[in-house]
Amino acid sequence: METAELKKQLKQQIVQFLNLTSVNPDDIKDDEPLFGEGLGLDSIDSIELIVLLSREYGIDIKDPKEGRKILVDINTMAAYIEQHRTK
Amino acid sequence: MGVISAVGNSVAENHKSLVEGLCGIRNEFDLFPTKYAELLPFGQVRISTADLLKKLHVTDPGVTRTSLLALHALNEMLQDAGLSPAALSSSETALAGASTVGGMCLTDELYADANKKTDGSPYTSSYDCASVNMYLQKHYKMNGIINTINTACSSSANSIMYGAMLMKNGFAKRAIVGGVDSLAKYTINGFNALHILSSEKCTPFDEDRKGLNLGEGAAFLLLEKEEDIAGKKVYAELTGFCNANDAYHPSSLSDEGDGPFLSMQGALKQAGLSAGQVSFINAHGTGTENNDEVESKAMLRLFEKVPAFASTKAYTGHTLGAAGAVEAVYSILSLIHQEAYPTLRFKKAIPSTGLVPVGSYKKMPVQHVMSNSFGFGGNCSSLIFSKV
Amino acid sequence: MLYIHQAYCISPQKTFQDVDLQELHEPAEKRLLAIEPLYDGIPPGVLRRMGRAVRMGAGASMPIIKNTAELDGIIIGTGKGGMEDCIKFLNQIVQYEEGLLAPGNFVQSTSNAVAAQVGMMSKNRSYNTTHVHRGHAFENALIDAAMQLNEFPGSNYLLGGVDEISDFDYNIENLDGAYKQESISSKDLYQTDTPGSIAGEGAAMFLVNDQAENAIACINAVNMLHSQDLAQLEKLLQQFISTHIPAGEKIDLFLSGESGDNRTLKFYTACESLLPVNTPVARFKHLSGEYATASSFAVWLACYIMQQQKVPGNMMNGPVEVLAPKTILLYNNYKGLQHSFILIRKN
Repeated sequence: METAELKKQLKQQIVQFLNLTSVNPDDIKDDEPLFGEGLGLDSIDSIELIVLLSREYGIDIKDPKEGRKILVDINTMAAYIEQHRTK
Repeated sequence: MGVISAVGNSVAENHKSLVEGLCGIRNEFDLFPTKYAELLPFGQVRISTADLLKKLHVTDPGVTRTSLLALHALNEMLQDAGLSPAALSSSETALAGASTVGGMCLTDELYADANKKTDGSPYTSSYDCASVNMYLQKHYKMNGIINTINTACSSSANSIMYGAMLMKNGFAKRAIVGGVDSLAKYTINGFNALHILSSEKCTPFDEDRKGLNLGEGAAFLLLEKEEDIAGKKVYAELTGFCNANDAYHPSSLSDEGDGPFLSMQGALKQAGLSAGQVSFINAHGTGTENNDEVESKAMLRLFEKVPAFASTKAYTGHTLGAAGAVEAVYSILSLIHQEAYPTLRFKKAIPSTGLVPVGSYKKMPVQHVMSNSFGFGGNCSSLIFSKV
Repeated sequence: MLYIHQAYCISPQKTFQDVDLQELHEPAEKRLLAIEPLYDGIPPGVLRRMGRAVRMGAGASMPIIKNTAELDGIIIGTGKGGMEDCIKFLNQIVQYEEGLLAPGNFVQSTSNAVAAQVGMMSKNRSYNTTHVHRGHAFENALIDAAMQLNEFPGSNYLLGGVDEISDFDYNIENLDGAYKQESISSKDLYQTDTPGSIAGEGAAMFLVNDQAENAIACINAVNMLHSQDLAQLEKLLQQFISTHIPAGEKIDLFLSGESGDNRTLKFYTACESLLPVNTPVARFKHLSGEYATASSFAVWLACYIMQQQKVPGNMMNGPVEVLAPKTILLYNNYKGLQHSFILIRKN
């Protein structure tokens, strides 16, 4: 899968998984911070995104703190998925 | 008082374990099939549900483990108090209880009933938190105000407060207060999903703490007014209490610990005590990174010199809805016996706070004990018990 | 006991914005589902996580939070809390065989999620509690608020009752015999002679304090009973009336929680027969449906009636018109076991 396509799919998955009903996936910028400002996600979302990575891409992240380093923005997430996906 | 937990089936047994440092958290879970039975330690009460039914002579259908644990502790309390059946059934006797799990300990049955996979188990009216106190009310034919509170881990601390308030405001002459929770696949998986369960026995307030262990238990206490205690055995006085909210996040406390600070401060104010008068704090001390650091910071904010403190969750695990009441009993035991129970397995203080809990059993003068319970939803409650 | 200054209700009828009780909204698939507003006041990032009960509770609280400078506490009654989220998490446990699970549903399923969310949205650090004693959850919350006001005069509390219907909980309650097996119109609820009622849901939130001035209504007394014994109920009603309603005072309206369940009709009939002759009776469960905290809907309704100075026609049992009621006696029972009387007077 091409990176651009992966990022598009990832945005849709994030919106769906986290029930971000007021967010249009295409409006999420690739370098927009997921946590804090930007999308404004919180610690429960970070755990949920780890679950998403496992269910959709077969990636296992054991420690949520490690997860936060990967879950910075769409760019970092996509890069990590490309490197580690098993699905 | 009456109590049942992983460290004993009675007040006396619990006391003995506390004094002797006997931990009730084990890797021997056998209440129901779960993937986590092998993987995680639990503070399981050492009686099977089948044995509880037998011991308590319960033959009604639809009675859950949660209700049975509650009945066990309530029976002990009633015996200890010598409360007559007439007094128990009086409209002036309130029952203020608590549970977060209710009948959801029957996770598999709940799943089946909810998804219409059966014609209805015997438990269709037993799943909610109220089912426990509904059962106790029926069992003992109680006629006063009956209530159940669910504010997560601070539930039974709040039910103790509610019972006291009912008495203070003329809604009850006496109040049976307490709470219960039993281990459930639902809560095991819920807490695990939040990554706050430790795969080892918990180490509250320790630098290397890795999370909490789930436990189960029940405790009930009888509150009576000062004018009614003549000639009766009195263990302690409930002198202060406060409920405040952290208002920060659904499942973790703010860095500054506003909720814990406010509940502790409010309890002191109500008791008319200065911070320096607190002899000992039975801390919430779950063993999670978040709680123990925040609770420590809140203690440092409130107390010029933080008094001796410890977490008995190192003995019992986190008994959730029962925690406030179980730890109220332990706080009162401290007062009666003038002693402090340690935070088992503590080795090294949290670097940012440097606070060291009581590390081994000791006799000490105890005049006022503060007991903290902080839960999801920012619900923070503190109780103060004083020596009589 | 306490004065109600603001009252908001999200329910199966038009009770929230542009209140209109003349038009009766009917059940859909045997459930009276709440008409949910757009929830403009709740930030989308917060709203997206909320289950229905939490949404409705938060939504009905928003106007009060906006209109009130300082709240001294949030006191909620709920029978089941976030049951839908509870079962969603449970389904995850089964589907993924206790594997890696997303915790959002678990966190939102706890009974105290409504009070917690409202507290967080209003950044309110004061007293916050959730009563969950099923058919007495709201009544205990009400008593709690009254006691807090006694302890802290001059304070303001957000008091409310909320419950949701969820597919899953509907299944459980249905298996327990709570609902009618046949589909009926709400208009016919009280004519049926079958067991069960219609599932309902809603959130009713109130700003309460101890200030009489400008209050919509006053709750003067509450009493509760756990019993299936008719005689005990009758005795309680007689005591309630003799204690709280002086001999010369007329009960302008008996607001009855009659639910269409033929197993519990006897309790309502018995109470009505104990009232002074010709006491007007109005019923509300065809509007709200049946749920543990339905009495909170009834209290909202009483406030609405006091403000409008009349009772919507479709509520009256009998060809009576009630104008400007000053004293309303509410009687409700949940599953014929948990009974409550609430006395509401116009300020």
